[in-house]
Amino acid sequence: MEGLGGGPVRKTLAIALIFAVVGCSPKGYAPRDRDGVLHLDFWNGFSGPDGTTMERIVKRFNASHHDIQVRMQIIPWGTYYDKLTLSLAFGGAPDVFVLHAQRVPEYASHGALADVDRYVRDYGPDPRDFMSRQWNAGLFNGTRYALPLDCHPLGLYYNRGLFKEAGISRPPANEAEFEADARRLTAPAKGKWGFVITDFHLVGSTVFDQYGGGLMTPDLTRSALDQPASLDAVNRMIGWVKDGGICPKPDPGGSWGAFQTGRAAMAIQGIWMIDSVAHQEGLDVAAAPVPRFGPKQAVWASSHCMCMPARLPSDRKKAAWTFMKYLSDNSLEWAKAGQVPIRRSILKSPEFQSLPIQREFAKELPYVVYEPFSVSVNQTASFADIAVESAVQGVESPRAALKTAAQRVNRVLELR
Amino acid sequence: MTGSRRREPLVAAAFLMPYLILFAVFVLTPVAYGFWISLHNWHILSAQAPFVGVKNYLGVVRDDRFWRSLMQTGYFVLLTVPAGNLLSLLMAVGLNQRIRGEAVYKVCFYMPVVTSVSVLAVTWRWLYARDIGILNYYLGVPVDWLNDPKLVMPSLAMMSIWWGAGGNMLIYLAALKAIPKEQLEAASLDGANSSQRFLKVSVPSITPAVLFCTVMSVIGASQVFGQSYILTGGGPADRSLTVSLYMYQMGFGQYQLGYACAVAYLLFFFVFAFSAIQFRLMARAFVGSS
Repeated sequence: MEGLGGGPVRKTLAIALIFAVVGCSPKGYAPRDRDGVLHLDFWNGFSGPDGTTMERIVKRFNASHHDIQVRMQIIPWGTYYDKLTLSLAFGGAPDVFVLHAQRVPEYASHGALADVDRYVRDYGPDPRDFMSRQWNAGLFNGTRYALPLDCHPLGLYYNRGLFKEAGISRPPANEAEFEADARRLTAPAKGKWGFVITDFHLVGSTVFDQYGGGLMTPDLTRSALDQPASLDAVNRMIGWVKDGGICPKPDPGGSWGAFQTGRAAMAIQGIWMIDSVAHQEGLDVAAAPVPRFGPKQAVWASSHCMCMPARLPSDRKKAAWTFMKYLSDNSLEWAKAGQVPIRRSILKSPEFQSLPIQREFAKELPYVVYEPFSVSVNQTASFADIAVESAVQGVESPRAALKTAAQRVNRVLELR
Repeated sequence: MTGSRRREPLVAAAFLMPYLILFAVFVLTPVAYGFWISLHNWHILSAQAPFVGVKNYLGVVRDDRFWRSLMQTGYFVLLTVPAGNLLSLLMAVGLNQRIRGEAVYKVCFYMPVVTSVSVLAVTWRWLYARDIGILNYYLGVPVDWLNDPKLVMPSLAMMSIWWGAGGNMLIYLAALKAIPKEQLEAASLDGANSSQRFLKVSVPSITPAVLFCTVMSVIGASQVFGQSYILTGGGPADRSLTVSLYMYQMGFGQYQLGYACAVAYLLFFFVFAFSAIQFRLMARAFVGSS
């Protein structure tokens, strides 16, 4: 049984040493080449079909800009942040990179991101053309560190074939309709379910936001998980699963598969999942805004935010901003890869309105809720997820699970 | 003659040096440096890493998730080490019967050991899948192998035993083959049947191998990481969170390197203490048997 562990302890320590050694020699930036062309590195995690679309946009940028040439590198999200963090800390960072909105405060608080307020003022784009909630993504303590490119909210995916069979003509908009529809679509004996929870974090955050509880209080000073609203939210989710419910016991590994194979008629998932159901033969899937389960209309969302490193020389910053603005200006093309643009002018355009699924998701833009813009969100978010999972899976009582989670969150927040 | 004898330590040093240098650079220094890091509030991105003394250690021992991960790691050790070693020993005894195709069996049993845990874990995820998994297909019941809080550690243990059994098997087989034939023959002449021969002659002879394999298995199993990292991510609801995975989450999920190093040192302390106790007990048993 020699192979059991693989020595991660030793590996961590070794990596720590490498950090220290590598840290001594941060990589410098290549100057303009002989023809005066500036080469920019652009990193992102678009390893799916979205990467192909982004590649096309970058190619167009390169063709239309003779003094700036962008080299794009795609690093799958699974390892993206590790690589990016190391490069920002020890050299070798790209000129432009993508951060998810909820990660911006963490990186900004450590001084890793360039302040871009000046570039917005001097070169645009016009903030008034952005949807207001989405424009807030990229702000930290009142300073702008990122230009949001898009918004990717969750939506209700539903199987149109199964809906038709059950005689349901339109997707549910509220809890009552949702439960009624789901019940008609559920036949546990046949392994048929009205709904399936595919992700505790995404679904949990959405329901918390609709009830007004969740990870942190609005002032980000303590956890809201021990508030009554959070308990109501968790009880709502338990109700879906509990005996005689409308949702199978969640299985994070296979739940989306249950929706893809028609064993579950509805699922709440991100817009980025479009591609995994759009081209499947015999599966007629449509999307709608997430129903309103609680007192408030709300749905989880995030944005891809474009950033540049704080240490970038100013001529490169200006070139990087030119590229970032180009991506934002051309985000209609980007929307086609399964994203919602956040520029009002693009949202209104007939081309965008002709994208059936994206158009539905776009209806949610005015009320989407981002994860708390707290430097500690990455440290604490999993505590809430564990509580939701424990409660929904019946491992712990919801009250106890939420109390533990709130204590854990508060401990992190107090240590800051 | 005396001259060459005087040179011997130097020659020995010359042979040992390449390994010692690598060991010092890639093991000793990082281990020491890791301890240094564990005394600081060390976030990868931060320009400063203030010295905080034992604050990280206090933080770890006050964290309920650390204790959960420690208990679950202990549970994993209990599940894998005795059963895994027994299986290895049984396979070794089987292969020691001068059967045909011994080499083929050896290769087959050893194959998982040389395969990387990520490959195996991804494969086993499909075997274990509730609705589409092969295991449940043949069982005919939808067992929630990886998603049932009570079943998840045994499921990971089962995969781990299968993965690692071949390694110890080779050691046991070598130990069994090293038993002098005369002893076994003498025992049969004295009228001992095969199980008596095994228990009274073979087992005492392979005690050093048992000691070695058990200690190494405990150390290996205490550091279990890849299985839960890939198959479950520590879930459901932290029920397969192990100390190494917890350390990884702290270090590379949250970039709290000081904290992660403190976890590493605490794990090291526990494994060290446990191995020392084990050596003591086993050595005593060894002395008692001879």
